[in-house]
Amino acid sequence: MNRQEWLSKLSALKSDFDRAVSEKKLSQDIERDFLSKKGSLSLLLRELSSFSIEEKKELGSLGNDFKKSILEYLSASPDNISKSKVSSDLDLTLCGYPYPHGSVHPITATTEKIISSMSKLGFSLEYGPLVEMDYFNFEALNFPPDHPARDMQDTFYLPHKDERGSDYLLRTHTSPVQIRTMQSRKPPLRVISTGKVFRSEAVDASHSFVFHQLEGFCADKNISMSDLKWTMESFIKDMFGSAAKIRFAPSYFPFVEPGAGVEVSCVFCSSHKGKCPVCKSTGWLELIGAGMIHPEVFKACGYDPMETSGFAFGAGIDRFAMLLYGITDMRQLFENDLRVLKNL
Amino acid sequence: MKTIYSWLKKFSADLPAFEKLRVDLASLGFSIDNIQKIGFEGENVFVGEILKIEKHPNADRLSLCEVSTGAKIHKVVCGAKNIAVGQKIPFAVVGAKLPEGVLKKAKIRGIESEGMICSAGELGLYGYDDSGILVLDNSLTPGTDIREIFDKPDYIFELEITPNLGYCLSHYALARELSIFKGYKLEELSFKVAQSKGEKEISIEIENPSDCFRYLGLIVKNIKNKKTPMWMAERLRKIGINPKDDILIDASNYVMFELGQPTHCFDLRNIEGKKIIVRRAQDKEKIKTLDGEERALSKDILVIADEKKPIAVAGVMGGFYSSISQDTSDVLIESAHFNPSAVRHSSKFLNLKSDSSFRFERNVDSEIQDKAAYRIAELIMENNPDAFISQIQDERPSIFKRDPIEVKCDKINSILGSNFSNEDIEKSLKAISEKYVGAMFYPPSYRSDLKTIWDIAEEVARFWGYSNIKSETSMRVMPSKDHPYHQALSFIREKLCSIGMYEAINYDLISLKEVKAISFNEKMAVELKNPLSSDFHYLRPSLLCGLLKNLKYNLNRGVDSIMIYENGKVFALENGKILEKASTAGLMFGKTREYYWHAPEDFLDFYHLKGAVSYLFKDIANFSFKPVNEPLKHFQKGLCLEISVSGKHCGYLGAISGETLAAYDIKESEVYAFEFNTEVFLRYFEKDFYVRIKKSSPVSQYQHSVRDLSVVVLKKYSWEEIKKEITGIRDLLWVKLIDVYTGKNISPDSKSLTMRFMFSSMEKTFTDKELNSKIEEIYNKLNKVFGASLRS
Repeated sequence: MNRQEWLSKLSALKSDFDRAVSEKKLSQDIERDFLSKKGSLSLLLRELSSFSIEEKKELGSLGNDFKKSILEYLSASPDNISKSKVSSDLDLTLCGYPYPHGSVHPITATTEKIISSMSKLGFSLEYGPLVEMDYFNFEALNFPPDHPARDMQDTFYLPHKDERGSDYLLRTHTSPVQIRTMQSRKPPLRVISTGKVFRSEAVDASHSFVFHQLEGFCADKNISMSDLKWTMESFIKDMFGSAAKIRFAPSYFPFVEPGAGVEVSCVFCSSHKGKCPVCKSTGWLELIGAGMIHPEVFKACGYDPMETSGFAFGAGIDRFAMLLYGITDMRQLFENDLRVLKNL
Repeated sequence: MKTIYSWLKKFSADLPAFEKLRVDLASLGFSIDNIQKIGFEGENVFVGEILKIEKHPNADRLSLCEVSTGAKIHKVVCGAKNIAVGQKIPFAVVGAKLPEGVLKKAKIRGIESEGMICSAGELGLYGYDDSGILVLDNSLTPGTDIREIFDKPDYIFELEITPNLGYCLSHYALARELSIFKGYKLEELSFKVAQSKGEKEISIEIENPSDCFRYLGLIVKNIKNKKTPMWMAERLRKIGINPKDDILIDASNYVMFELGQPTHCFDLRNIEGKKIIVRRAQDKEKIKTLDGEERALSKDILVIADEKKPIAVAGVMGGFYSSISQDTSDVLIESAHFNPSAVRHSSKFLNLKSDSSFRFERNVDSEIQDKAAYRIAELIMENNPDAFISQIQDERPSIFKRDPIEVKCDKINSILGSNFSNEDIEKSLKAISEKYVGAMFYPPSYRSDLKTIWDIAEEVARFWGYSNIKSETSMRVMPSKDHPYHQALSFIREKLCSIGMYEAINYDLISLKEVKAISFNEKMAVELKNPLSSDFHYLRPSLLCGLLKNLKYNLNRGVDSIMIYENGKVFALENGKILEKASTAGLMFGKTREYYWHAPEDFLDFYHLKGAVSYLFKDIANFSFKPVNEPLKHFQKGLCLEISVSGKHCGYLGAISGETLAAYDIKESEVYAFEFNTEVFLRYFEKDFYVRIKKSSPVSQYQHSVRDLSVVVLKKYSWEEIKKEITGIRDLLWVKLIDVYTGKNISPDSKSLTMRFMFSSMEKTFTDKELNSKIEEIYNKLNKVFGASLRS
């Protein structure tokens, strides 16, 4: 091919392109015909390899100018694919593809929210077994064998003896994790634990023999009840909004002294005018039990209670979940009714 | 403890109104429940008689009544439907004080009403029918003030008393607590009892001083009138105690709720040998207790015995034969202080709880025994002018002494995070105990709970109010760390939710029937010693128990598709040891998706299950599926695979067997499930983030090439075998099976497989020729190894 032939080929291609444009050919076809590896312009440009350097320069620039104009056209041309291929009589109100969407259980979602709130305050997770030893569940937590405080927690026992000769039991609270953690690590500690606990109680709308607890404790130097109050307040504000308030009242748990019940201002009252069924119009919900870790507990963990101080707290996660999701019957949490789970 | 407001007021006349008292009690750590308001509070309400009823001229639903209050006839407008001529009703005259305010003269629809016929609610009376006016007993005389008919206003409420407040288990003690902490005046206890005649009829002997710190016996003789006074019976009834109409029993109970000291009365005639011995029971000794039950005792049960036999289980319950009877006239009143754990032990051993054991377990005041005995004597003798006290014997082998506590104000403030002054602290502690000398605080005799500076700190906080504790912190900054188990569970949940599975949470306790249904060796199941019921008798050996139950529950509610999973613990007994393992299980049944107009229905099958498991394990571990020859009973033979991680068993997936489905009463088939030990995921997340994450591998700059190949092979060859053979081919990026065909044009023992190959090189783009030769190489290999032929 000589220079002249090459130029006439180029002008032929130019008129081909003009025709394609006037015929409103699809841009993808134009691209394929001219610019793809085997496209006519690509082949023509490849022919330049046999020309002299000067000719290469001259013809190459002409060819590339043309290529540019095609590309410009292609990028500017409206997407005629959608115009021509998709008919306009589709019923766009038909539902979209039903992608599957699972969910996490409300208890898990609540637990996760609690964990994230507490982790912002520097608390790390630990876990403990559900089948527990009397020592960890009671004795080391300052429930001596013949103490009436044991009656506060109806316990399920197993017919197997642990290494200390007591019956194994299903943990009645998450507090054994305090002992297990303190015995295996050294302060400063800031730990939470969540999980199932068991009490031998008949099931009704507000009781269950299986439920979930949050446990938290801090063991360090110079920890006071003010630190506990600050921690509780920060946690509650993260859970229920910055308008939520807390207040302390005396309470009793054998493993803390002084003990406190933490009441949270009812944030649900505003949506129930006059009579609030959530707090029974008292304005407060008792949600957390807390206190300063009892010196006997520290002693059981090998800590000197004059050196180390700390606080502990616990709460029913199911109760939080019921409040947050507006569930009124605790049994519903364990039915796994898909109609309920899919709504959440 | 059921508490009566007016009874408290007897000990502290200036107690505030109930609503304020309630706040006081809560601020001291007592929670209140079941508040019951009784009685009438108001003035100028009289018994009236309805003489005449007419229709109100201007209102359909109202009536005009004439009511007589004896001296006067009143014309009133009434809206109630249950009125009738001749009825006796409570009638409030104009100016009457009612709970809701003072009644004024009013014109109702143009007619003046000279008073009001009242309902129970309008009078503030609870426990009556409040649907209309309150109809009174017809024998009442018009004009009678209704305050003569109804109780004075009062409240009965349930007080929750935690074990640390065990010293408040009586009305007196509660009034004392309020007086100390809130400053109300407390009446001193005083009794009108005659002196003892000083006889020495009964001897008291305490065998072991550590079992019984004090035993006081008081003998009252010549009791003739044993009737319980009305007021006492009424009070007992209000706190839920059934009066026995025998002053000896009722006064003993009454004093327990008044002063907190349990007591017991023995008929003097039934104490053999004139001896009371506090001792441990002998082996094989028996006692018939007051409830009529014959109980075998053991060596560590503390009893009260006479010369021959036990006559009471100390602190728990009296004996049947030594108890008082109708003709008892001489009694020994026992008022003792037993060791709390001895009483608790007996109560547990005999499975016998009483109001008495409840109080002894929580420890009683070591200084109240004499007061309680005197009080009973006083109550008995009130209506028995001829009765007298013949003997009082107070055995105290050792006077109960509490160690003083050294009060360090700094320590108290450092526990509470407060800055109470020394004076504030002293003020609060002096309110609790007069004996606060120097820095030494001597707890009062009833406060056995006060032992350390921490206990003192709580008292200071209770005294000044927990609201004085500030919310502020100087805690150090500490980074929090995530836990691998938590990360593992989050990862699993995220993945399974993303493919449309819903999380379930089930009870960990199941029935024996379920244990058997889940193919578990029954002997390996972990049993409870004291289950609530047979439905919740065992710890679950598999999470599938719960998921199958959930399937059944949802099928019953018309669900046609279910994809659920659970994370939890499973339990087994191995060599006598209880194993607790973290497990994850999932279950699938029914349609793959909700109805969709654009595509036909599709049903979940084994490959959906396998896909889910593969998706979960993909980046976590080097896993593979292995055939299972003898699957667990709950999986169907031939439709079950083992999940193996680095050659170790990890779990199963498969179709649930018909037998197991039948055990759950599920008629549907094609239920698929997996369950595996979550440990593998835990191991993965134990590794540091930068270690466990997948590293990026370079991708080719050259074009990839795709080629398909269809071959026919004998059915016996599995895809896994064939794939293994192909995998080694150079430059093959991946091979995927895109179609499996059997049927027309294929011999019955064979199948046609269509495979898609992706070739890629880091160096170049393959030519057609090169690609063809690669496909040929593959074909030749398949032909040689499996006798594959090209599909024509």
